[in-house]
Amino acid sequence: MSALSHLAILPILIPLVAGLICVLARGRLRPLHRAVSLVSTLAVLGVAVALAVRTGAGELLVYRPGAWPGPYGIVLVADRLAALMLVVTAMVALAAMLYATSGGDGRGRHFHAFFQLQLVGLNGAFLTGDLFNLFVFFEILLIASYCLLLYGGGERRTKAALHYVVLNLAGSALFLVGVGTLYGVTGSLNMADVAVRVALLPPTDAALVRGAGLLLLVVFGLKAAVMPLYFWLPNAYASATAPVAALFAIMTKVGVYCIVRVFTLIFGPLAGPGADTILPWLLPIALVTQFVAYGGAFAARGLRRQIGYLLIASVGTMLAAIGLFTRDGIAAGLYYLIHSTLTVAVLFLVADLLARQRGADTDRLISGPRLIEPGRIGTLFFIGAIAVVGLPPLAGFLGKAQILAAAPATASGWWLWAVTLTGSVIALVAITRAGVVLFWQTESSPAPAAPRTQGRALPVIGLVAALLALTVLAGPVTSFTTAAADQLLQPAGYISSVLGGP
Amino acid sequence: MTLLLIVLLPFLGALIPPLLIRRGRTVAALAAGAVPVAALALLIPLWPTVRDGGVPRWRIPWLPQIGLEFDIRLDGLAFLFAALVLGIGVLIVVYARYYLSERDPMGRFYALLLLFMGAMTGLALSGNLLLSAIFWELTSLSSFLLIGYWTHRADARDGARTALAVTGLGGLALLGGVLLIGRIVGSFDLDVVLASGALVKADPLYPVVLTLVLLGAFTKSAQVPFHFWLPGAMAAPTPVSAYLHSATMVKAGVFLLARLFPVLAGTDLWFTLVVGAGLLTLIVGAYSAMFQNDLKGLLAYSTISHLGLITLLFGFGTAEAAVAALFHLINHATFKASLFMAAGIIDHETGTRDMRTLNGLWRTMPYTGVLAVIAASAMAGVPLFNGFLSKEMFFAETLAVPPGVAWRWVIPAAATLYGVFSVTYSIRFVYEVFFSGPGTGMPKEPHEAPRWMRIPVEVLAVLAILVGIFPNLIVRPLLTASAAATTGGVIPPIELHVWHGFNLPLLMTVIALVGGFFLFRRLNVLLSVRGGYVRSVSAKGLFDDGLFAVLRMARRLTRTLETGSLQRYVLYFVLAAIVLAVAPVVRHGWPLGAETSVPADGPLIAGWGVLVACAIGTVVWRRQRLVALIVISGAGVMVTLAFARIGAPDLALTQLLVEVVTTMLLLLALHHLPQEAAAGSSRGRLVRDGAIALTAGAGMAAITWAVLTRPFSSISTYFLENAKTQGGGTNVVNVILVDFRGFDTLGEIAVIGIAALGVTMMLDGLHADPRGRPFLMSRDRTPLILTSIARPLLPFALMMSVYIFLRGHNMPGGGFIAAILTSIAIMLQFMANGIPWTAARLRVRPQPVIAWGVLIAVATGVASMLYGSTFLDLAFTYVDFPLIGEVELATALFFDLGVYLTVVAAVILMLTALGALSSDAAAPDDYASEGDPWRS
Amino acid sequence: MAFLMASAIGVLVAAGIFLLLRARTFPVILGLSLLSYGVNLFLVTMGRLRGGSAPILVAGVTDQVDPLPQALVLTAIVIGFGMTAFLVVLALRARLTLGNDHVDGEEPDA
Repeated sequence: MSALSHLAILPILIPLVAGLICVLARGRLRPLHRAVSLVSTLAVLGVAVALAVRTGAGELLVYRPGAWPGPYGIVLVADRLAALMLVVTAMVALAAMLYATSGGDGRGRHFHAFFQLQLVGLNGAFLTGDLFNLFVFFEILLIASYCLLLYGGGERRTKAALHYVVLNLAGSALFLVGVGTLYGVTGSLNMADVAVRVALLPPTDAALVRGAGLLLLVVFGLKAAVMPLYFWLPNAYASATAPVAALFAIMTKVGVYCIVRVFTLIFGPLAGPGADTILPWLLPIALVTQFVAYGGAFAARGLRRQIGYLLIASVGTMLAAIGLFTRDGIAAGLYYLIHSTLTVAVLFLVADLLARQRGADTDRLISGPRLIEPGRIGTLFFIGAIAVVGLPPLAGFLGKAQILAAAPATASGWWLWAVTLTGSVIALVAITRAGVVLFWQTESSPAPAAPRTQGRALPVIGLVAALLALTVLAGPVTSFTTAAADQLLQPAGYISSVLGGP
Repeated sequence: MTLLLIVLLPFLGALIPPLLIRRGRTVAALAAGAVPVAALALLIPLWPTVRDGGVPRWRIPWLPQIGLEFDIRLDGLAFLFAALVLGIGVLIVVYARYYLSERDPMGRFYALLLLFMGAMTGLALSGNLLLSAIFWELTSLSSFLLIGYWTHRADARDGARTALAVTGLGGLALLGGVLLIGRIVGSFDLDVVLASGALVKADPLYPVVLTLVLLGAFTKSAQVPFHFWLPGAMAAPTPVSAYLHSATMVKAGVFLLARLFPVLAGTDLWFTLVVGAGLLTLIVGAYSAMFQNDLKGLLAYSTISHLGLITLLFGFGTAEAAVAALFHLINHATFKASLFMAAGIIDHETGTRDMRTLNGLWRTMPYTGVLAVIAASAMAGVPLFNGFLSKEMFFAETLAVPPGVAWRWVIPAAATLYGVFSVTYSIRFVYEVFFSGPGTGMPKEPHEAPRWMRIPVEVLAVLAILVGIFPNLIVRPLLTASAAATTGGVIPPIELHVWHGFNLPLLMTVIALVGGFFLFRRLNVLLSVRGGYVRSVSAKGLFDDGLFAVLRMARRLTRTLETGSLQRYVLYFVLAAIVLAVAPVVRHGWPLGAETSVPADGPLIAGWGVLVACAIGTVVWRRQRLVALIVISGAGVMVTLAFARIGAPDLALTQLLVEVVTTMLLLLALHHLPQEAAAGSSRGRLVRDGAIALTAGAGMAAITWAVLTRPFSSISTYFLENAKTQGGGTNVVNVILVDFRGFDTLGEIAVIGIAALGVTMMLDGLHADPRGRPFLMSRDRTPLILTSIARPLLPFALMMSVYIFLRGHNMPGGGFIAAILTSIAIMLQFMANGIPWTAARLRVRPQPVIAWGVLIAVATGVASMLYGSTFLDLAFTYVDFPLIGEVELATALFFDLGVYLTVVAAVILMLTALGALSSDAAAPDDYASEGDPWRS
Repeated sequence: MAFLMASAIGVLVAAGIFLLLRARTFPVILGLSLLSYGVNLFLVTMGRLRGGSAPILVAGVTDQVDPLPQALVLTAIVIGFGMTAFLVVLALRARLTLGNDHVDGEEPDA
C-alpha cells in the first residue's frame, strides 16, 4: 500500500500523535507545544484538502483499520461530505490555534494536547462508518471539549461546564441506547450494513427501528443545539476562552453532520420500515429553533451570548434546508454550514479583540471605553455582522438565497421563507444595536493599558479571507456541495464500496 | 470590460483616500474626485450606442446554480441613473472637501462615500435582478455608515440605526420578491424578466410579488408610512444628505419602480397601491415641510413629497406618466442637491440651520442668496426653471387619469394642493433666511463661503435654468432613451415646451403660485396654531415603540426558556427522548415477536430483587451519602453477577474492579462535598419527576422486551469463527477488543487519558478547606496493620496482573483488567503509606506514562502500516511460557500493553490527584497547587 | 428471564433519571451511575438471552453467546469510568470554588 492509501486515517492519527507529544513535552507551555500543534494542524488541513480534491473527483475512499473485511471490522469512509467537514474543521482549527498562540494557551496546562485531541474526536466522527465507533469518537471530542471549555478556570466556566457535562453524559447514555437498539434489531454496527439490514426488516419492526432513529436524533440534536436542547450553549460558549469558542463553532456542526449522515444513509427514502424517519420532524424543529434563537440574539445583553444565539439560529437555518431532504436543499444547507462555521469563529475572535480593548474583559452591550483600534476591529466586526445576518454580498446571503430558492412552493416551503426572512431582519436589528453601542456609543477615552491587537488580528483576517473566497467561489463550492448531496441521496455507491471486500 | 470598470472603480477607489489622507485633505479629495470623473469618462463614450437603442453588456456567472450572474447591463435608464449618481457624486466630493472640519476623519468619509457610490452605480447597471438585490442592500449598509458618520452624536447613531432597520427590512422584502419573480419567470436575467410581464401579472403569486417589491421600493423612497427614517437621516453631514436625498439613495426606490415598470405596472392593484402611497406621501411631505424650522428638515420633507410625486406618476402606469416621472427625477436631483448644499453653506457660515434664528443673510451672502433663490424657484415650479416643466407634465397627467377610477377628481385636486404647499415652503426657505430681519444675532458672523464650496451649487443652478429654458436641447435625448428603456420600447413623442398655451395645468400652476403666496402670508398663524408639532414624529415613535415591544417579548421568551436551571434542561432532554420514541409507536403500533429467552430461576429472581432494592435504596437514601454509596455499589455487584450469569466473565471482572475504583474515587471526593443533607425538592416536583422517570424506565423496559422477542442474526458469528484462526485468541471478546475493533479500544484509552489530564487540570490551583484528614489517606505515616498487609501484597498483586494480562487473549482478562488490578494494588500503598512515601518509591510520573501507553498502541498500529497493511492490522505467533503455558504472542500484546500502561497511569493519576487535594500528610501546597504529586 | 432483565433495566433507568433530575451534584452522579448500569445491561442484552456459554473458544463447544455486545459494553464501562471520574472532580471543583453543591453552581434563592 502506498502512503497515499492511508490518507483517510491521517486526519485522526496526526493530531493524536501530536497531542501525545504535547503531553510528553515537560513543562506548562514551551515553543515545542506550539510548534507541534501548528505543524499538526497544518498537516491535517493539507490532508483534508487532498481528500476534498480526491472525493471531489468522484472517488470514495474506504479505509479498514485492522484490515477486516466487509461489515465486521471498523471502517473509515471519506466521501464528499466527510471531506467537506474535515476541511472546514481544519480551517477553523488553524485560525483558533494561531489565535491561541498569542497568549490564550498559557493559562493552564495541556492546552495544545486537548486542542489536538479535540481534532482527533472531530475528524474521527466525520470519517467513521461505524455506529459504535462514532460513539467512541463522540466521547473523545466531548471529553476534550469539557477540558477546553474549563480551560483557564474561573467560576463562570465551572458553572457552564457542569451543565454541559451532565447534559452530554445523559446524551451519551441515550446514544448507547439508540445504537444498542439498532444492533438488537439489525445485528450490525457498520452503517452501510445497518442501512441494508434496516431496509430488509419486516414492517412489524417499523416502530422499533424508527424509535431508535429518533432517539439518535435527540442525541445529535443535543450536539447541534436545536430546540429544546440548546440551552447549554449560550453560557458555555460565552464563558469559554476565545480560541476555544471559535473552535467550538464546528462542534454544533458535528450534530448536523450526524443528522445528515445517519438519516440519509440508514433512514433514507429506501429504508423500508425505517424510510424517511425524521422527514416530518426536522423542518419544524429547525424553524422553531430559528425563531427562539433570533429572539435570544435580540434579547442578549452581551456580545458573546448574542453570537451564541446567532450560531444556534444558523444551525436552525441549515437544518431547515437539510430538512427538505432534496438535493438542492441539502446542497444549500451544506454551503450555509461552511459559511456559518467560519463566520461564527470570526465573530467570537472579534468579540475577544474587542473585549480586551474595552478593558475588564467585558463584552456587555453598554457604553464603554473607546477602542484604541476602532477602525481595524470595527471593520472585522462589520464584515462578520453582515455575514452572520446574511446580508449581501457575503456568503451568508448567497447561502440564504440558495435555501430560499430550494424551498418548495408548499406550506412548509413558505414557512421556511417567512422564518428565514423575518429572522434576518431581527438579526439585523439586534447586531446593529450591538455594533452601535460597542463601536460608536463609547466614552471619549480608551481603557487604561488596553492591549493592541497585534498578531491576534491575523488569524481573524485569515478567516475573513476564507469567507470572501467562499463568496467569490460560490459557484464551484456549490457544485461540490451539490455533488455531495447527490452522493448522500444515492447511498448505493457508499454501501457497495463499504461492504465490498477489504 | 469598461462596464465592469465603471462599477468597480468606486469600490477600488474607496481604498485610496484613507491611504492618501496623510498627504493632506486636498490630495485625498482629488483622489476621491478622480474616481467618479474617471467612471464618467468611461460611461459617456457609450452614450451614442445607448441613444441608438444599443444595450452594452458584460457578464460572468457567479452562482449559476440559482441563476445569479455578475451581469452589467447599460440601457437608457441605467445610463441616466448612473450619470446622475456619478455626476452629482463629483460635485459632492468637491463640496465635502470644504464642508468637513479639521476634526472630521476625511479619509474615512471619502472611502464610505465612494463605497456608497459604487453600490448605487452597481444597482443602476445591474442586469441581473438578484445582483440588483445585492447592490440594493449594499446601498443600505454603506448609507448606514455615512449617516452615522458623526458617531459621537446620539441623533446620528439613532438616525443611522433607524435608516438601516427600515431600508434593510425593505431590502429583505425585495429579495423575497425578486426570488419569486425568478421562480415565475425561471431566470433573473433582466432581458428575460422584462420580456415576461404578462406571465408575472397572470401568476397567482403576483400580488405577493408586488407587495414585497413595493415594500422594498417604498421603504427606500421614504413613502408614507415608511418615510420617518429620512428626516432622522438628516443628522448626517450635509454633503451626505445632499447626495443621499437628492440623486441617489431615495431615488433607488423610484428607480426600482422604473426598472420593473414593464413587469409589474399597469394592473389595478399596482394603480391602487402605488398611486395611493404616492398621493399620501405627496401631501403629507409637502404639508409637514411647511412647518419645519430646521432648513434641512424642510428640505427633507420636501424631498419626501417630491418622491411621492414621482411614485404617483409611475403609479399611473402609462408611458406618458413614466416620461414625466423620469423628467422630474432628473430635475429634483439637480435642484434638491443644490438646495441642500446651499443649506450646508448657510449652516457652515452662520453656525445654525434654524430659520427662527437665521435672517437677512441677503446683505452678507448675496451670492449664496441668488443660488438659493434659483434652486428654490425650481423646487416651487416657477416658470423658466426645470421644476416647472416636470410639474406641468405632472399636473397634465393627473388630469389624464382614465375614467372609471372612482376618485379620479381627488388626484388633480391633491396635486394642486401640493403645488400650493410647495410654493409656500419654498418662499419660506428664501424669505426667512435671506430677507427677514437685519441679518444679525446668529452664532457666527456670516460671510460668503469659499469659492470652491459654491462652485458645485453654481453648476447645478445653471443646469436648472438651462433645462428650464432649453429643455429639448438638453434633456430630450436622454429622456427619450431612458423612457424607452423604462417602458419597454413604446413611448410617445416627447414634447417639452416652456409655453403650452393656456390650459388646465397652467391654471393649476397659477393657483399654486398665488395660493402658495397667500398661504405663506398666513403661515405664522398656522405655525402658532400648530406649534412645532411634526407629523412624522408619531410614525418614528410607533416604530421605536414597536422595536421596544419586540425587545421585551424577546427578553421574556428567552427568560422563560433559558432559565439557567440544569434540572429544567435535563427535563426537556428526557421529555424530548420520550416523545420522539413514543411517536412511532402511536403510528405503527408495538407488535412483539415470538422469540423466547431462557426461563428464570430462583437465584435470578433473588438477584433481580436485590438489584431493584438497591436501585430504589439509592434513590431513597440519596442524601445520606455514605449509605447511598454502599447501596449503589450493591447494585453494581448485582450487575456484575448478572454479567457473570449471562456468560460475560470479562464484563463481570471489569465491572467489579471498576466498581472498586469508582468507590475509592467517590469516597475521596465525598470528603469535600457537604455532609449535611441539602434541602430537597417540593413534593409536587418529586411526583412529577418520578412520573417522568418511570415513563422513561417503562420505555426502556418496553424496548428491551420488544427486541428480546425478535429473531436475531448478528455479524458476531464471524467473530466466533475467525477469532482463533485470524485473531489468534480464544477469548473472542478480547480478540474483538484488541483486534477486530481495536480502533474502538484505542479511542477508549484516549478518553481515559484525556479524562485523567482533565482531572489534574481541574485540580490545578484548587485548595480544599483542610477539614481534617481525607478518607483513605493515612495521616499517621505507617498504620501498622495496613502497611504490613499492603507492602507484601504488592508483589503478588503485580504478578497476578501479569498473569491476567498475558492470558487475556485466550481467557478472561487482558490489559484493562490487569491495569485496574495493578492500580488498586498501588493505591493500597498510598492508603497505607501516604503519598510521599509511595510517590518517592514509584519514581514515575504518571502523565508521561499515559502518553506513552497510547503511543505504544498507536505504534503497534503504525507498524502494520509499515508492513504494507492498514493501520492496526495485528499479527501473532505462539510462545510457550513456563508456568503460564502456551501464550499467543501477538502484536496485540503490545497493543494491550499500551492499554495497560495508559489505564494504570490514568487511574493512579486521578486518585492521587484527588487524594493530594487535601492531604495533610505532607506539605499541602506541594500537591494542592499542582494536583500531581510527582511534579517538582 | 427476558421479563426480569427488561424490568431490571427499566428500574435502573427510572431510578437513574429520577436522580439525574435532582438539584445536587451527588445525586446526579449517583443517577448517572445507575443510568450507565441500566444502559450496559441493555447493551449486553441486545445480544439476546438465549443462554449458552461464555464466548471463549473451547473445542466442541459451539453455543457461545454473542460476544460483540460484551466488547461494546467493556468499552462503554471504561469510557463511563473516565467520564464519571471527570464529573466527580468537576463537581468537587464546583463545590470548592463556588461554595455550594447545587448543579447550577448557586443556591436557587441566592
